[in-house]
Amino acid sequence: MPCERKPMRYGHSEGQTDVCFDDTGNFIVTCGSDGDVRIWESLDDDDPKSISVGEKAYSCALKNGKLVTAAANNTVQMHTFPEGEPDGILTRFTTNATHVAYNSSGSRVAAGSSDFMVKVVEVSDSSQQKTLRGHNAPVLSVTFDPKDEFLASASCDGSVVVWKIEEQTQVISWPLLQKSNDVTNSKSLCRLAWQPRVAKLLAVPVETTVQLYQRDSWALVSTLSDDLGTQPINVVAWSPCGKFLATGSIGGLLTVWDVEGKLCKHEKGYTVCGLAWHPSGTQIAYTDTEGCLGLLDGLSSSSSSSTMAIKKSYDDLFDDNDDDRPMDEGVSESGSPAKNLVALDDEDDDDLVPATGRARNRSSLKLGLDKLGNYEDDAGSAIVLPAASAAPLHPVYEGPMPTPHQKAFQPGSTPAHLMHRFMMWNSVGIVRGYNDERDNAVDVEFHDTAIHHAMHLTNSLGHTLADLSHEAVLLACPSTDELASKLQCLHFSSWDTNKEWMVDLPKGEDVRAVCLGQGWAAAATSALMLRLFSIGGVQRELFSLPGPVVCMAGYGEQLLIVYHRGTGFDGDQALGVQLLLFGRNRQQVIQGEPLPISRRSHLSWLGFTAEGTPCFIDSEGVVRLLNRSLGNTWTPVCNTRDHCKGKSDHYWVVGVHENPQQLRCIPCKGSRYPPTLPRPAVAVLPFKLPLCQTTTEKGQMEEQYWRSVLLQNHFGFLSSSGYEIDEEAQSRAQKEQQELLMKMFALSCKLEREFRCVELAELMTQNVVTLAIRYASRSRRMALAQRLSELALEKANQLQGPEEEEEPLQYTRRNTGGGTGRSSAGGQPRATNVLDSMTSSSRKPTVLLGSSVSAGKLSKTPVLKPLAPRPKSKVPHPDRKQILSCYYIPVALWVKYHVFVCVRPKTGFQLWLEENRKSILADNPDLEETDVIKEAMGRFRNLSAGDRLVRHLSVVSIYVHYPCHRKFKRDNQPTTQKLFGKTSRPVCLFYAVVVYAGCWLVFPLNGAWG
Amino acid sequence: MDPSEVEFLAEKEVVKIIPNFSLDKIYLIGGDLGPFNPGMPVEVPVWLALNLKQRQKCRIVQPEWMDVDKLEEIRDLERKEETFTPVPSPYYMELTKLLLNHASDNIPKADEIRTLVKDIWDTRIAKLRLSADSFISQQEAHAKLDNLTLMEINTTRSFLLNSLNCMYKLRSNLQPGSSRGKSQDY
Repeated sequence: MPCERKPMRYGHSEGQTDVCFDDTGNFIVTCGSDGDVRIWESLDDDDPKSISVGEKAYSCALKNGKLVTAAANNTVQMHTFPEGEPDGILTRFTTNATHVAYNSSGSRVAAGSSDFMVKVVEVSDSSQQKTLRGHNAPVLSVTFDPKDEFLASASCDGSVVVWKIEEQTQVISWPLLQKSNDVTNSKSLCRLAWQPRVAKLLAVPVETTVQLYQRDSWALVSTLSDDLGTQPINVVAWSPCGKFLATGSIGGLLTVWDVEGKLCKHEKGYTVCGLAWHPSGTQIAYTDTEGCLGLLDGLSSSSSSSTMAIKKSYDDLFDDNDDDRPMDEGVSESGSPAKNLVALDDEDDDDLVPATGRARNRSSLKLGLDKLGNYEDDAGSAIVLPAASAAPLHPVYEGPMPTPHQKAFQPGSTPAHLMHRFMMWNSVGIVRGYNDERDNAVDVEFHDTAIHHAMHLTNSLGHTLADLSHEAVLLACPSTDELASKLQCLHFSSWDTNKEWMVDLPKGEDVRAVCLGQGWAAAATSALMLRLFSIGGVQRELFSLPGPVVCMAGYGEQLLIVYHRGTGFDGDQALGVQLLLFGRNRQQVIQGEPLPISRRSHLSWLGFTAEGTPCFIDSEGVVRLLNRSLGNTWTPVCNTRDHCKGKSDHYWVVGVHENPQQLRCIPCKGSRYPPTLPRPAVAVLPFKLPLCQTTTEKGQMEEQYWRSVLLQNHFGFLSSSGYEIDEEAQSRAQKEQQELLMKMFALSCKLEREFRCVELAELMTQNVVTLAIRYASRSRRMALAQRLSELALEKANQLQGPEEEEEPLQYTRRNTGGGTGRSSAGGQPRATNVLDSMTSSSRKPTVLLGSSVSAGKLSKTPVLKPLAPRPKSKVPHPDRKQILSCYYIPVALWVKYHVFVCVRPKTGFQLWLEENRKSILADNPDLEETDVIKEAMGRFRNLSAGDRLVRHLSVVSIYVHYPCHRKFKRDNQPTTQKLFGKTSRPVCLFYAVVVYAGCWLVFPLNGAWG
Repeated sequence: MDPSEVEFLAEKEVVKIIPNFSLDKIYLIGGDLGPFNPGMPVEVPVWLALNLKQRQKCRIVQPEWMDVDKLEEIRDLERKEETFTPVPSPYYMELTKLLLNHASDNIPKADEIRTLVKDIWDTRIAKLRLSADSFISQQEAHAKLDNLTLMEINTTRSFLLNSLNCMYKLRSNLQPGSSRGKSQDY
């Protein structure tokens, strides 16, 4: 039988505990030595309801909405369930009661006590009591006969007694147990259990075994034992169908005696002291003496609606356990299922005869087939399928189950039932609510005391909802019988003397969620209505919500609403989200789209970052941020659970900041929210996009890049909605992104991923692309450099385009969309532009390159040699300047090494002339070419000797220093001429001068210059 | 060095505060502090924390070790061990005094902490006296003590040095021969 053991969780403090399910099976009820009864909605319920029943609670029982507990104050008390209101004292003993039990109908309660007595009390009338006297030691446990005729009790005197309730007499007494003088000293709690429904068997834990006694004959019919069970058994419990018996031992061993003999070990080995079956028979809840609560789930076959399933398991049983059943020879395996099917006869429960074999005892179905078990009348024909009686009579829906709707809440508040709670903790301040005997008050405290001083208000209206902004405090209370639901606003920033206003909602309408924005307040109500108010109290717009509200958040002019879109299944919530703008252009930005939360989770926080980007967090701890630049999608930016140390630790978020990237939250050990005292401290978590392989350098940089891109989206939004933005921060972010891109580019280059390099370059801004080009050419990736130069040109084209925008992201998107085809329109000016910007930006790095070039000049020549012809092989382009820009990189490189070739024949004057022609022309625009030269000659002569020398030097030094390059002259000259023509000479010269600037110093100024 | 000087040094220790005002980074000779965001913990030197606290501009977050459980553990260990155990902070006494005197409303269980730290201090001083005593009585030339804090050294320094000088004088006077030379000095 499949069975899933859920992890244990802390339930009570150390000591004796008890557990039971409520009638519907929706709640688990536990009690413990801390004197509390806790009502758990599930094992994962982090916030069970606690009812204090006394100093210690020894045992509890629940039926028909009445919870009976045996407490340390010597009473057996009753509480209503699930409200937990005290409902009177059932009975008293002279010392504490040890165990309480309901009868099957819930009309009577039996209680055993340490004063040796057992009392049977009518629930409806506690004066009707029956006292069973006869034990000579504290009573360990009591159990009712399901038919209400008998009652069994076990005592520390070692006896297990069956009483006839009406006559208050002992029917039989077995001396089975070890004697002890008190319950605490007893080895086993010896919780007895009477088989439900058929009431045939009484299970008595005796040492390591369970003995089954038959009703009426009171004969021992079977002993259940197992090799694994080496420790005394503490508790036994029958499944609701009466087919399985669960036992829990002192050693922590849980055994379910059923058709397949599934064994389940308690995880810690503490003593199991409470055990209860879910009414459907699919779960077993258990508690131990450490106060922990556990749950076994998936005990499915017990409630199987199919007789076939039972039959099948039956066969398994016979196969498995033959050796245990020496008396089973006559069993016909083929016969048993057949007969099982014959009679689904519930009434004839007399035939439920246990056999002596262990296996058969696990299932009382065996019955008449067994010769030895064939105690009485028409055996064999009467086979009861207790499980079948419960479930299969009506069709069972086994599909996905709907999830209950998550309740409305205020983000940043702790649950409303707490006596001391945070009604709101946001970036402005803290609103605390106190609701205890002494005081019902609200405390408002501001993080920044400059906004307003702290306030203390009496909460006579019983406000449960609150929001806080720089302008006001908004409080709301639900309606009561007499009073309507109210909205109260403390508008402390008002400049008049009236700092407060209040609004009553129409009758029958309750406030479910409130929020404050800048100059407005909003309240979502139970009538699926959203009511807007101005901050001064003027009623404004009002509209209907598509579903019950979950929560709301306001920021500036934005209102974010999350509501139930429908019903989710299998633990999922179906939430929808609306984002409205109230500013000059009123619009709905997000129109009721589904809110993507993690599976099987609920919303736990909703709000805006300090920069105004909507953000939410689900109960799985995933923080998602709206990505406005990608069609208002939600991107997970952080998982707070990754930072938690323990499994039940959580982070309670109080604020999100994009710049700097901070998730402000309060670490909560072992809970989902913090207590008000001691005052919790805020911690800061970093963001981390869940990208793949973030352990690698590549993954890390990608994560950083996209995080930076995502978290600077708000700049675009803020500036578009007319806010001032921190331009410094924006440019810093952009610079960081470009740096990251460059790093990634370099990394891809190293890994020889040239295609990836180009992809990365597409994300870069134009200036950075030129850097990338330089990097590529330096690392001698000419193909890459060439592609990049094309890309650079394209980017330049776009830069020239009609709308010039500042956002690099938009460029990249247009680039990728636009493909690589270069538009030929208007090539001339753009090409110049590219060239200009490149030469200008290339100035600085060239100087840096100089040293490396001169160092490796000779060895590099052969490598560079094939580069020069490359431009030739390209398809000739009509526009020379475009070619130039296009082949800029190879050329630029070429220039570094070969420029002297074309420069060499020129005299110093010629060079000077080239440089200064423009200025001469500018001064004397009407000069002829010859006049220009004359003028130039004159100016050149007037130059100081040193000035002239420098010019000579620069040229000749190159010539002298690189004689070996001369051999390229003949080969390359045509290309050079063609490529550079006249216009390029200054460029070449510039390169020559700058690159080889160092040489001037190396070569002494003597000799050749005379 | 007197105790106030040690306390002055202790004021350079860093402590977390939660400011209730907003201020950009401040640039001081000793280093940059801030930025101060209301409600966000920030680390500042003790002197600034106390100053801000006195002006009701912040709440002080107690250092991690200033916790009843941890201090009890340290106290028990200190009592158990013969030698000096490592202390949670080199200025534990000074910090406790400063913080509890000025910001006891921000520190839960301030009284218990005060008692515990005093207990630790007393235990350690007793050990120090004991070791000084055995040092002198056994006429050792040198002794090594680990894990002493500045304040503890200071409390014993003047007394121990003076008394050692005195004893040296007394002893050298007792020894014949050297008495002549020595007596000229005094």
